[in-house]
Amino acid sequence: MSADSGLTRLLEHPAIWRGRSVARTEVIPTGFDALDECLPGGGWPRTGLMEILVSSFCVGELYLLLPALAALTQSPAARWCVWTISGAASSLTPQSSAKQAGEARDDSPASRPDDPAASRAGLPPGADFLHPFAPALAAHGMALRRMLVVRAPAQSMWAFEQSLGSGACDAVMTWERGLRAAQIRRLQLAAERGRALGILFRPLNAARESSPAILRLALEPVLNGVRIAFLKSRGGARGTIEIAWQRRVALPEKELSGRRAGPAEPGKPALQAGSAGS
Amino acid sequence: MRRRVGGTAEEILARHEVQPRHEAQAPQPVNDTCSQREHAHEEVLAHGHAPVAPVRQPARGAARLRAVTLESSSGTSVLTSAVGSPELWIGVHLPVRSAQAVRQWENNPRIAQGMPSGMDAILQAQGTKRLLERLAIRAQRFTPRVSLVPPDGLLLEVKGSLHLFNGAQGLCKAVADECLALGVEPMLALSPTPLSALVAARSGRPFAVRGLAQLVGELSTLPLATLRWPREMLDRLAHMGVRTIGQALRLPRAGFARRFGTDPLLMLDRLTGRDADLRERFRARERFRRRRDLNYELESQAAILRALEPLLRELGSFLRVRQCGILQLQCLLQHRHAPVTRCELRLCAPSADVGRLGELLGERLGQLVLPAPVRSCELRSGVLIPSVLASNPLWQPGEHGGTASAESSGLIERLRGRLGHEAVYCLQVLPGHRPERSWGVAEPEGRPGADRVRADRASPGQLHGNTARASCDAPQPPWPAFSRPLWLLPEPRRLAQRNGLPHCGGPLRLLGDPERIETGWWDDGPIERDYYAALDSRGVRLWVFRERASAHRWFLQGVFG
Repeated sequence: MSADSGLTRLLEHPAIWRGRSVARTEVIPTGFDALDECLPGGGWPRTGLMEILVSSFCVGELYLLLPALAALTQSPAARWCVWTISGAASSLTPQSSAKQAGEARDDSPASRPDDPAASRAGLPPGADFLHPFAPALAAHGMALRRMLVVRAPAQSMWAFEQSLGSGACDAVMTWERGLRAAQIRRLQLAAERGRALGILFRPLNAARESSPAILRLALEPVLNGVRIAFLKSRGGARGTIEIAWQRRVALPEKELSGRRAGPAEPGKPALQAGSAGS
Repeated sequence: MRRRVGGTAEEILARHEVQPRHEAQAPQPVNDTCSQREHAHEEVLAHGHAPVAPVRQPARGAARLRAVTLESSSGTSVLTSAVGSPELWIGVHLPVRSAQAVRQWENNPRIAQGMPSGMDAILQAQGTKRLLERLAIRAQRFTPRVSLVPPDGLLLEVKGSLHLFNGAQGLCKAVADECLALGVEPMLALSPTPLSALVAARSGRPFAVRGLAQLVGELSTLPLATLRWPREMLDRLAHMGVRTIGQALRLPRAGFARRFGTDPLLMLDRLTGRDADLRERFRARERFRRRRDLNYELESQAAILRALEPLLRELGSFLRVRQCGILQLQCLLQHRHAPVTRCELRLCAPSADVGRLGELLGERLGQLVLPAPVRSCELRSGVLIPSVLASNPLWQPGEHGGTASAESSGLIERLRGRLGHEAVYCLQVLPGHRPERSWGVAEPEGRPGADRVRADRASPGQLHGNTARASCDAPQPPWPAFSRPLWLLPEPRRLAQRNGLPHCGGPLRLLGDPERIETGWWDDGPIERDYYAALDSRGVRLWVFRERASAHRWFLQGVFG
């Protein structure tokens, strides 16, 4: 007991800094209370580079960021929110689907097998760019006037770094595979220079590599949300939490099997709440 | 000197009439510092010492306003014709069937074969406008104060130029010669107020009045039609027996204003010089265009950029002097045996920053594949846009809500310079239910600082992002936000199917009820689809649809984020 109080007194010494008491940084609330509690400062960092590692692209990483991005773009002095759509973003759709689509119908002019962007990133042919769907983004509260789409199949990292360092952007996002730590370091410096939040979506296998990013999260889909694992968080929590989306995006099991008005009768869906997708 | 200063305005004007060459010694206010200096000089010559006595202003009417060049809010300068100020205007009227119009008529077989009269009028109007501008440019050698009166009039304030062109007669002859050189036979009139000069020129009678005192008398016999009032109004006046300007001037003012409004009355006041007449100064549209011939042939882009540097410097000083920026810059590279290579730069916001322009041009040149070595290069600017002076922000962009207008357009230009113009864009919502047609590409706005002004002009479907409240006002779509994907495939992609169920890297699990979208029957893209959210084997949610048509094929159209 006395040792404990002695320790407390010792820790009160101003020369001692503890890991949790990092300098207060400007943050953006994420829109999810549970997540805010776990992040240092109570939100996404305002400046710097963060990595979100996903088991496959489009498992819900955008829904996780949309509330914060919407708030950023709606502020009166909003700067750009840049979506750098790289070659990797074209692999958002499943690979095998592209193969099957190729079998079924391969008349798209963009589906050349020698597509430089696709071959560079080791992507399947037939994967064309996805377009951000404006009506849905607007419905989620994004101010489209402040959102800039940059399609850079071959030079996405250049565009990403230019946008980050320009000082004209609040947030810059890109989807990328196969980055080196030195490149990420460069991006982190650019983000600090331009006072921007860089958001880098990478595949989950990058978790083994070290990274200079200030925040690293890993996402896995669950039925109606995502499970977030904190890989690196300066002064934040460790472990995993689950976030549910505000509105249901998938119906519970009962409703799903209850009435089927669809033209095709699907097989008995074997969905168990919480177990799907993991 | 003292003795002369006294007297009423009429006396002064009368004197001014008697001694037109020495009018500068009359105590009227003067136009600009240049002529002021001239007066002082003349007075020193006459009296041996500089004038010291304060000049008394004439009592009333005369010189109530100084003739000054005002800067109006739009940045264009306005010439004021002051009441009683020493001004002399030449009105030039181009007859409607001018010689050039006739020549155009004869040269163009299409017209000669019989065009509809409306078209004829349009062609003629365009021709006259161009002619008028060319004439105005030529007329600027007589005086800087030239003003256009479309469609067929031109006004020149020539008081200060009289002695340079052998007096009024010489000047009128010189102006007429300029017009004749362009193939037009003009009608000229000389008068102290601009409107009266124009009206007299339209009448076609010889008219040369040097002072306001004689003006009303000389004007009185001119027909009223030269004022170009509405036909119906002229008819009413004709019924009242009023056919000349003199008769109109004799009408009681109150009654005239009650019957015809105050505008015609104001016009009459301007005609006689009772009221000031504002005229906009003509400014020729300018563009920068410089060419540099090289006495050696260049192949490397860096060397070409270096060769362009003097031209860019020249462009910089050109823009600085005019306080203007440009939105477009074209660089033409000429080869010995190949067609000209063009390299065009388009900016988001007007810029006069040559360093940045050079940087962007270098980026563009770096992508060019030159067919042959370059022999000469040329820079051509787009239209000049007056630059708006803005103070520098206190905060850095992103710091305490600081905006980033300059950086914003700079970033877009840099990205476009390397990735191409089409690779950088904004999104907008288009009305309609078909997913592939409910969004579109929009041009990014370069200046976030101007958000508040532009919010009104934004498209109705677009969210206004000024404040959170503004975005709430935007019309909400009829579907819940989570029922639409965040990504859309450029085209729906056919999915394989087994037992009537879609497959995409394994069987897809359909989630929830279908949403039927059935629209577009009125044009070429009708759709009849049942949309489902589907979960693939990796936990990615897809937006798939099944055709309602007999084939019942499955397609993948979107991916939820």
